[in-house]
Amino acid sequence: MHFDPTIPFKYWDALLIGLGTSLRLTLICLAIGIALGFVTSQARRSRLMPVRAVAIFYVELFRGTPVLIQLFWIFYCLPMLIGAEPGNFISAVLSLSLYAGAITSETFRAALKSIPREQYDTCRALGITGLRLAIWVVLPQALLRAIPTLLSNAVALFKESALISAVGMADLMFIGSSIANRTGRPVEMLTAIAIIYFTVAFPLTRIVGRVETRILRRLAV
Amino acid sequence: MGYELQFFYVWQNLDKLGQGLLVSLELTGLANLIGLTAGFAIALMLRARMPVLRLPATALVELFRCTPVLIQVVWFFYCVPILFNLFVDPMVMGVLALGLNLAAFNAEGYRAAIQSVPREQYDACAALGLGGWSRVRHVVLPHALRAALPVLMTNGITIFQQSALVALVAIPDLMYEGKMLATETYRPIETYTVVAAIYFAISAPISLIVQRIEARFDRVQA
Repeated sequence: MHFDPTIPFKYWDALLIGLGTSLRLTLICLAIGIALGFVTSQARRSRLMPVRAVAIFYVELFRGTPVLIQLFWIFYCLPMLIGAEPGNFISAVLSLSLYAGAITSETFRAALKSIPREQYDTCRALGITGLRLAIWVVLPQALLRAIPTLLSNAVALFKESALISAVGMADLMFIGSSIANRTGRPVEMLTAIAIIYFTVAFPLTRIVGRVETRILRRLAV
Repeated sequence: MGYELQFFYVWQNLDKLGQGLLVSLELTGLANLIGLTAGFAIALMLRARMPVLRLPATALVELFRCTPVLIQVVWFFYCVPILFNLFVDPMVMGVLALGLNLAAFNAEGYRAAIQSVPREQYDACAALGLGGWSRVRHVVLPHALRAALPVLMTNGITIFQQSALVALVAIPDLMYEGKMLATETYRPIETYTVVAAIYFAISAPISLIVQRIEARFDRVQA
C-alpha cells in the first residue's frame, strides 16, 4: 500500500486538542489521585478495623479489575443508581481519580514502610501524634521517597487515559482513531497517535530514573 | 433511587460470560507464555555489549512501555494486516499485542533482577569455568527468576486485566460478552457488576499470593 506520512500533519490541530484533553484529564486525576492515595495509605494503617477494611477493599477492587470496566460502570451504571447524569467529564475524572488513588496508595504504602521506626518513637517522645504526625513528619518523607514511583504512576495514568475514548470522550485516542476511520488511513493516523503518546511518556520515564538516583543520594547523606 | 436490581438475566446468561472468560484466560495464558520467555531474552539483549542486540531491544521495550496498551492492540489489529499483508485470526493479533507488551514489562523486571545477582556469583562462575550459555542457565536464570517472581506475577495479572481491551476490537472475551449482555438485556448495573466481580475473583487471590511472597522476601532480607 501507499504510505503517506504527511496525512497526520493535515489534522495536527485536531490532534493537539485531543492531546490537550488527555493531558488535562491526567493532571486533574493525578492531583486528586495523589491526595486520595495518601489518605488511603494512612487509612490502611488505621487502628480501627472497619477503616482498614474499607481502604483495603477499595484498593484491591480498583487494582483487581480492568480500568475499562471501572469506566463503563461509572459511565453507565452510576447515573442509573443516583438518578442523575454527572456529565462525561466529571465521570471520566471520577473514574480515573479513583483508579489513580488506588495505585498511588500502594506507592505511598511502600514509601511509608521505608520510614524508620525510630521516627515514630521520636514523635511519641516529643508528643507529636495523630494528624500532626501524619502531616508534618510522615507526609514530607513519604512524598520524597514516593516521587519516582509517583512519576511512573503519572505515566501509567496518562496511558490509561486513552481508555476514555471507549466511552466517547474526545481525547487524543478518540480523535486520532476517528480521523483514521474517516480518512481510511489507519496506518498513518494510528502510528502518529502512538508517536505522540510516546513523545510525552518517554521523557517522563527518563526523568523518573534521574530523580530516583538524586533522591537516593540525598537520602543516603 | 427507584432502581430495582434484577440478576435474573445475568444468571441465565452465565454460560456466555463463562465462554468469554475462557477467551480472556486463553489470551492471558498465551500472552504470559510470550512475556515470560521473550521477556527474558529481551532482558539479556538489554545487557548485551553489542549495540546490534541492545538497541532493538531497548527500542522495543521503550515503545511498548511508553504508549497506551489500547493503541498497541488497535495498531496490531488495523495496521499489521495492512502493512504486512497478513490476515490471521483476531486472537493471534490479540495474543501478539498483549504478549509483546508483557514481554517489554517483564524484560524490565528481569533486568532489575539480573542486576541484583551479586558480583561474586559471576566471579565464582569465572573460577569454575562456567561461561556463556551455561552461566545464564545455571546461575543467572535461577537467581533472576526468584528475584523477579513478584514482579512477573504482578505483570501477569495486569495483562489479564488489560486483556479486557481486546473487547474494543470485537474479540469475544469476558468484557465483550459482558458489554453485549448489558446492551441486550438493558441491565448494565447487574451485568457489569458481575463481570467486574469475575475479574476481581481471579485477580485477588493471585495478588494475595504475591503479597505473601513479597513479605517473605522482606523477612529473608531483614
